[in-house]
Amino acid sequence: MSTTFNPNILPDLLLNLQTSQQNAENAAEEISTGRAVNAPGDNPAAVAALVLNDAQTSEDAQFQTNIGDLQSKLQVGNSVMSDAAQLMTSAISLGTEGATGTTTASERQTIAAQVTSLQQQMLSLANTTYQGTYIFSGTNVTTPAFTADASSPSGVDYNGNSASTSVEISQGQSIQTNLPGNQVFLNSSGNVFGALNDLANALNSGTGIAAATTEVQNAFNQINSQAGFYGNALNQLQSTESYLSQETVNLSSQQNSLIGANLTQAATNLSQDEMDEQASESATAQIIQLPNVLDYIE
Amino acid sequence: MGTLISSLNIALQSMEANQEALSTTTNNIANANTPGYTDQSVSLVESPPVEYGGMLFGDGVSVSQITSQRDSLLQTRLDQETQQQSSYNSYLGTMQQVQTLFNETTGNGLQTSLTSFFNSLQQLSTSPTDLSLRQGVLTAAQNLAQTFNSTSSNLSQLQESADQTVTQTVSQINTLTSQIASLNVQIASATGGSQNANTLLDQRDQAIEQLSGLIDVSQSDAGGGAVTLTTSNGTALVVGNHSVPLTTETNQATGFQDIYSQESDITSGITSGSLAGALQARDQSIPSILSSLDSLASALGNSMNTINEAGTDLNGNPGQAFFTLPSSGTVGAAATISVALTNPSQIAGSLNGTTGDNSNINAMLALQNQTIVNGQTPLDAYSNLVDQVGNDVSTATSENTSSQAMVTQLQNQISSVSGVDINQQSVNLIQYERAYQAAAQVSAVIDSLTASAIDLGQAQSVT
Repeated sequence: MSTTFNPNILPDLLLNLQTSQQNAENAAEEISTGRAVNAPGDNPAAVAALVLNDAQTSEDAQFQTNIGDLQSKLQVGNSVMSDAAQLMTSAISLGTEGATGTTTASERQTIAAQVTSLQQQMLSLANTTYQGTYIFSGTNVTTPAFTADASSPSGVDYNGNSASTSVEISQGQSIQTNLPGNQVFLNSSGNVFGALNDLANALNSGTGIAAATTEVQNAFNQINSQAGFYGNALNQLQSTESYLSQETVNLSSQQNSLIGANLTQAATNLSQDEMDEQASESATAQIIQLPNVLDYIE
Repeated sequence: MGTLISSLNIALQSMEANQEALSTTTNNIANANTPGYTDQSVSLVESPPVEYGGMLFGDGVSVSQITSQRDSLLQTRLDQETQQQSSYNSYLGTMQQVQTLFNETTGNGLQTSLTSFFNSLQQLSTSPTDLSLRQGVLTAAQNLAQTFNSTSSNLSQLQESADQTVTQTVSQINTLTSQIASLNVQIASATGGSQNANTLLDQRDQAIEQLSGLIDVSQSDAGGGAVTLTTSNGTALVVGNHSVPLTTETNQATGFQDIYSQESDITSGITSGSLAGALQARDQSIPSILSSLDSLASALGNSMNTINEAGTDLNGNPGQAFFTLPSSGTVGAAATISVALTNPSQIAGSLNGTTGDNSNINAMLALQNQTIVNGQTPLDAYSNLVDQVGNDVSTATSENTSSQAMVTQLQNQISSVSGVDINQQSVNLIQYERAYQAAAQVSAVIDSLTASAIDLGQAQSVT
């Protein structure tokens, strides 16, 4: 018998059929799942990279949520700053009015009362809360930042601390999220509460009104410069947010190149594999129908 | 010179020989689809001639032997390739289940829990006093611990089922080796008595091929038709008439079955066959994955504990351990890790003692980018683990595919040598049938001649 002729071709034919069928199934799976890689074993490096990619995508989504929260919180701080600046502007007009020679003592008393009212409004602004925490208490957030104290030179006591918090807003980038109240309202280069208190006292006593008004002017400048912190922080959040959106798009396209299906290629493969499969099937059918000599023996 | 009667004998021998050839052909056709059957052929030889009057007269035909068309070299190569292929196949059987535990393409695995945990800390850092965010951190930590637990327990279950495969395989090996030993006896006695041992040889080849699917076998001729089977590193499996059974004993350290032959531990010496695949998954791949998982759980848990213990919780109390871990070492960390904190206020997020301070939460968050797991960040360590699992599967898959192709090719080659070709057999059938008919016709002619001889010189009395 010839050593190159294999009389048992059926197992071989079956294997060919199975191979074409498996290829067609793989291509169909790639098209239906949209993924070329379906398990770590299909492409270990791609799935390992996918782990990092997915984690980064998820972390970025969290960063974006955090940025949303921080924007609300910092906007509250920002509007406190502009309200405080308005109060200071009113105080400057009152001081200027009280300093003119024509103002009577009783008129000065009335103006002083208005300044005292501004002081109270300022105290209420300085004790603003965001989601139940005092935003100007440093990290001592459960305690009101300031309480009124007539015996204090500034008319208030600071109950917070000088600490600030920072929060990560993208990988390796953190942002300071609060200004301690003593830095904003009791700053040595422009003491808001001290200036208002001095103005009220000056108006009541009728002496040193102009000096006290200058003091209020300095405090006003100081509030404006502190407001810059919020503006900068909000800008930074804005630009980080757009950076993160772009990175999310990049990560998604990277993920697609890692495990995504090449649909054109897969569709071509599928039709090719289906043709192969049909060809194998019809060849197999013909081969197994071939008559052998036994069929002709009478 | 031959007589009429001797011619009649020659015709008889011819009919007998062709009948035997017909019966062999029929047997070939009958066994065309029998696994392991080897095509048999009849060797016809001329009977020794008779000398008469200085001349040699032919004395008919006889069957000298019935031979099987076997190529033992090809069969040995098939056995060896089968050992490789079965090893990959059995290894893959376990490892494909292992990889589903780490199939990040469908969201299975640790990445989601790990990232969610860090994300929950990230969110808490924006508002450290928020109890619902604190609860979110505890929940994410519990999920992470449970994912560690379930992944570890699933891996252990796969390891146990590989262990059961080992026990079952050893018992199948013993059944086959004892069959082969008894076939050795039968073949030796058949060939010793000059009988046809083809069927027994087929059975033994078949048994050795099956055994090759289970363990690495190398065979050598022991003489007298018997074979000696050993594993590739020399452990005897069948020696002459005796099989050497393998036994299993529980290893006290691992709790798994070690394989013994005659009191000595041969577990590490088994290099192929499905037994080797099961052992490789059970003793190497899965333990290595479990150990990576333990290192990750332990490093992350211990670092979290150290940081939480350095801080102050929401009630002003010093922080406690965040996770419960094995008291020493990393072994079992993934299986047993659990969240020790019972109340969200116990997360010690503050370093300066005030509730609004998030510096310690930031310290916990920073673990994400610190190389705390054998010189890698937690996520990098996990990503490498996924890569390792993927590579285990991918390497074995490609080896298995090429080994499978090799097995198919060798089977084809063997089939070319030993397979039954129906066309060939049909032609043989016609040939032997015609020869038989011719010999029968010769008998009839001689009968007629003999009758003529008897009736010579008289009225016909014999027809």
